Amino acid sequence: MQIFPRSLNKLPLLVAVVANLALVGVVFVFWYWLSPKNLVMGYMPTQPVPYSHRLHVGQLGLDCRYCHANIERAAKAMIPPTQTCMGCHAIVKTDSAKLEPIRTSWQTGKAVEWVQVHRLPDHVFFDHSVHLHAGVGCISCHGRVDEEEVVKVQVPMSMGWCLECHRDPTPNLRPRSEITNMTWTNDGSFKPPAVNPPQNCSGCHR
Amino acid sequence: MSKRQPYELDVAKNDAAPIFWKSLEQKADPARARAEATAEFPRAAIAADLAKSDLVGPVGRRGFLFGGMSAALLAVEGCARRPVENILPYSKAPEYMLPGIPVHYATVREHRGEAIGLLVENHEGRPTKIEGNPDHPGSFGGTDAITQASILELYDPDRSNGPRTAGKEAKWEDFEAFLKQKSVAFAADGGAKLRVLMTPSNSPTMLRLRDALAAKLPQSKVHVWTPLSNSNAREGARIAFGKPVNTIVDYRFARVVLALDSDFLQTEPGMVRATRLFARGRKLRSSHESGMGRLWVIEPSYTNTGANADHRLRLAAREIEPYLLALGKELSTRQGVDLSQIAPLLATSTGAVDGVPPQWIKVVADELVTMRGRGAIVVGSRQPARLHALAHALNAALGNAGTAIGTYPANDPAERDVAADIKDLTADIDAGKVETLVILGGNPVYDAPADLKFAEKLAKVPTSIHLAHSVDETGSKCTWHLPRAHELETWGDQRTLDGTLAVQQPMIAPLFGGRSEIELLALVTGDPPTGYDLVRATVKSGSTIPAAVLEQTWKAGLNRGIFASSGNRSLGPMEVVGGAVVTAFSKSQASKPLAPDNLEIEFAPDPKLFDGRYANNPWLLELPDFMTKICWDNAACISPATAKALGLASGDVVTLSREGAAHVEIPVWILPGQADNTVTVNVGWGRTVTGRYGTGVGFDVYPLRTSDALGFADGAKVQKTGKTWLLAQTQEHQSMEGRPIAIDTTFDEYRRHPNFAQFKTPDPKVLPLWKPVEYKGHKWGMVIDLSSCTGCDACVIACQAENNIATVGKDQVHRNREMYWIRIDRYFLGEDESNPPVAIQPVACVQCEEAPCENVCPVNATAHSPEGLNDMAYNRCIGTRYCANNCPYKVRRFNYLEFQGGPTGSTPDTLYGDIPETRKMQFNPDVTVRMRGVMEKCTYCVQRIQEGKIASKRDERPIKDHEIVTACEQACPAEAIVFGDLNDPTSRVAKYAEIDRGYHLLSELGTHPRTTYLGKIRNPNPAMEQG
Repeated sequence: MQIFPRSLNKLPLLVAVVANLALVGVVFVFWYWLSPKNLVMGYMPTQPVPYSHRLHVGQLGLDCRYCHANIERAAKAMIPPTQTCMGCHAIVKTDSAKLEPIRTSWQTGKAVEWVQVHRLPDHVFFDHSVHLHAGVGCISCHGRVDEEEVVKVQVPMSMGWCLECHRDPTPNLRPRSEITNMTWTNDGSFKPPAVNPPQNCSGCHR
Repeated sequence: MSKRQPYELDVAKNDAAPIFWKSLEQKADPARARAEATAEFPRAAIAADLAKSDLVGPVGRRGFLFGGMSAALLAVEGCARRPVENILPYSKAPEYMLPGIPVHYATVREHRGEAIGLLVENHEGRPTKIEGNPDHPGSFGGTDAITQASILELYDPDRSNGPRTAGKEAKWEDFEAFLKQKSVAFAADGGAKLRVLMTPSNSPTMLRLRDALAAKLPQSKVHVWTPLSNSNAREGARIAFGKPVNTIVDYRFARVVLALDSDFLQTEPGMVRATRLFARGRKLRSSHESGMGRLWVIEPSYTNTGANADHRLRLAAREIEPYLLALGKELSTRQGVDLSQIAPLLATSTGAVDGVPPQWIKVVADELVTMRGRGAIVVGSRQPARLHALAHALNAALGNAGTAIGTYPANDPAERDVAADIKDLTADIDAGKVETLVILGGNPVYDAPADLKFAEKLAKVPTSIHLAHSVDETGSKCTWHLPRAHELETWGDQRTLDGTLAVQQPMIAPLFGGRSEIELLALVTGDPPTGYDLVRATVKSGSTIPAAVLEQTWKAGLNRGIFASSGNRSLGPMEVVGGAVVTAFSKSQASKPLAPDNLEIEFAPDPKLFDGRYANNPWLLELPDFMTKICWDNAACISPATAKALGLASGDVVTLSREGAAHVEIPVWILPGQADNTVTVNVGWGRTVTGRYGTGVGFDVYPLRTSDALGFADGAKVQKTGKTWLLAQTQEHQSMEGRPIAIDTTFDEYRRHPNFAQFKTPDPKVLPLWKPVEYKGHKWGMVIDLSSCTGCDACVIACQAENNIATVGKDQVHRNREMYWIRIDRYFLGEDESNPPVAIQPVACVQCEEAPCENVCPVNATAHSPEGLNDMAYNRCIGTRYCANNCPYKVRRFNYLEFQGGPTGSTPDTLYGDIPETRKMQFNPDVTVRMRGVMEKCTYCVQRIQEGKIASKRDERPIKDHEIVTACEQACPAEAIVFGDLNDPTSRVAKYAEIDRGYHLLSELGTHPRTTYLGKIRNPNPAMEQG
């Protein structure tokens, strides 16, 4: 007397296949879907003023340091004060509706509420000045900002990603004069110096 | 499973060295103390408490698991896109302001009648850390614990946020209108019914405005009161020299210092300067030095100064006077000491004092005479004025005045004796002569002499105006309360005791709309209303410099923090009026001998809360008292013999009473080294009206303090109540199992055996576990000189401010959960329980090269850096606490609860359950604020190291020695801590680490610590032992 139909013989196989697929799925979820590659990359919030880096940097050719002025001296990159915007926009496009928040800020003294795009966890102490001094260009972490209409995160900004470069910084180094250059490539004439970035915990966590 | 017993070290056991003990209990029963130290949950009470669920907070284990699961799901959902954070740049950027780069401004602060110059670190306009100004003679770069903690006072959440009148909130405009109306009455009768009560001041602007008030309203009067004043010293100098002068002892130059009831290393005026000079005078760079200073201390209770003495005698405070007379008599017999002027006075002495061994008179006199011109007799500020005068006469006769002791004109020659002055005020109130009383700072209802009944008197005054930090005992009884601006919020100025002028610069606009004393006084006198204008006007008025140059002087003065050449020149040796000194003693009278039923009570300034004004500062409340190690409480200290006679144990609550005064209940603490038949109480505790932290903490002893006994008095009685009080104290915490740790010797022994310290800490007998690492780049190290450390606790608070260290509350301290990264261990030495010498040792993480903590971390959260730092990655820590267990130095601290404030209600204790927004403003943005469940410890201030390294890379230069300074090193007034790169042969730390008396803590374990201790050298006089 056969209680179970013959077709059930395939059940263990089916279970095995489904279990394996589920496992792969779970691994995928954690490996990719929950990783900074998915969670961090591509973050592109809407800003109160639709500031276009493509226009200002790509077409007008402003240097990054015109606005992010203290980047070579301080840890923080600094979002420019309204004053910097008004330096030009007191004369240029004075009636643009898009610039209304800037003019309001200038008149009231209240800050423009920019949305932070590149954000590191609170226990990470990143210093812009020392990276720039070592010859790491803006492009290495921020990508081709000059082609972006809206700024978005182009790299994972995970600890593994940081460490990749800290272990071997040479591909990301360039002459200090070219750090803000978005199109610089090494034609072989530049020999990267040894910069010895830290790979221990307290290098970034304090 | 058997527990491995701590090993016994042969060298230590066989050595005839004195035994070390941390508490009387430990000495009596070392086995119990050891068991307590090794238990995870020491003390039965805690184990019982742990069974109660409320300890784990409002959420129990099941609730947590349930809530945790849903929270985990939410977290998965939530982290898909992190919360939106905004960046708010300035609209119009301030000049020279770079976001992320701290700015330091020079300012000055008054503490205990002396000015301390400061450099304050500001992050985007938010002061976060106070450091000493190296150019300022009141600081020399050092600070004290209270100054370090005053940054938290600025952010006190309980500061009042506006004027109040009749129990209702009001506006400054209301007060100004009220005052305007009053001014009419003032002008009509020349201010006859106006009285101002202020604290003694060294501020030229304050004094100028006071004189302006006297000129405008000639009938008005200004009184001074502060519970812990320098009035006796002033009066003593006035008796001796005929005019009020300040005396400053150069402890570096003085080779013999006799401190009589004077805690000049902690609670007396000018402690920072004194500590720096004292430590420099005793600094030994090698065993070849020819000699070092010697400190003799006679005092009733153990103080920091007593702990640093080479010879210490415990003596009731009232016996100091016969002692000094006997010493004077002895000195007068020596050749070349002319004391003929006061001969009739010295003739009254028998030349011997009960309880004082004869050699304490003879040998001390020998030394003072030998070291003529390089000695100093220092008398404590609670001793009567006549004793100060006598000391001046003796110092003058020994040629010390003008050499070791500088004399400077008083900043305020008109200042009166505080007790007499407040008495006059209360008498005037009784006589109905006061209609308006303006109280500028101070808290007289709480701290005025009990016999004056100030609260009752204040009620009789129709209009009372009180300017204070928060609504306190006085403010709540006044018709007007006005918020006082913090020193970091307003302009002001201060002179040091030697006259150096420094300007107090504001770091931040008043957070709660407060105003300073000078601004309030200016409202009455009609001067310009802002502090800036007032201070500028003072600088201008006292100067003959042309305006254009004055502008330069002003700017340079602000920049440097002192006005160069403003310091008064020392007046040189002054003539002592011998007759006046003799007359001053004519009123002395004999009294009943001291006995257990006739105790002497001494009122001591609290090293933390001072007179009570810092009572709402959790850093200071939690700081363990230097000697008793009690946190969050004060206690009445009695000697072991007196405790035995009265049948008391530590923690017993007694009724302390005095004839002619009220009585108070207070727990007793048995303190070795306390004079028999005396009881010492610290004032400043038991505040009834203050903020959330300090209200009702400790025991108020001001009710016992009357105007005739501001320092000490006999006739005190102690009655057992049968109650006991839990005193949370840390003296047995973090025990190191009786191994040789704080190593000391005498100067003679040191010269014979320069390497004495290494004998006790032999090289490891074990091979290293791993291949030793070669440190090629920087090799950070620290040297702590036990000979210099005075145990003032400045480093402890500086570390707390720099590294965002939590306060945990009394309950958690009792559970061994204090969070200090650096602690000051205090050991008693020897068999004698009545007057044991003390060893002091600051201990922080020693950054072992072979760190035991690293090997046991299952998640690699603590790892070694190539520069030899024992790094701690908080975000990786899962809280197994294996590392803390395996640390032989017991320097790792675990966040058992959300000590830095989680979401409201997440922890049961109000201390950190709901952390105020203002408190968060103090956090150092360069250091992670740790959460519940992670381990933390000293990092050698790695944020400062990284900052220094980055700056050097940016500027393409090597790191200079002393460029990177840890917070503890910076704060240390004794220069006991030196930090730097051991691989740089020119660095101070490399040189110090090579000093012969250096040793590594528990070196025999093979941990290779980076911190080197320099053994303590005592300098006793061999003649004392021969008797």
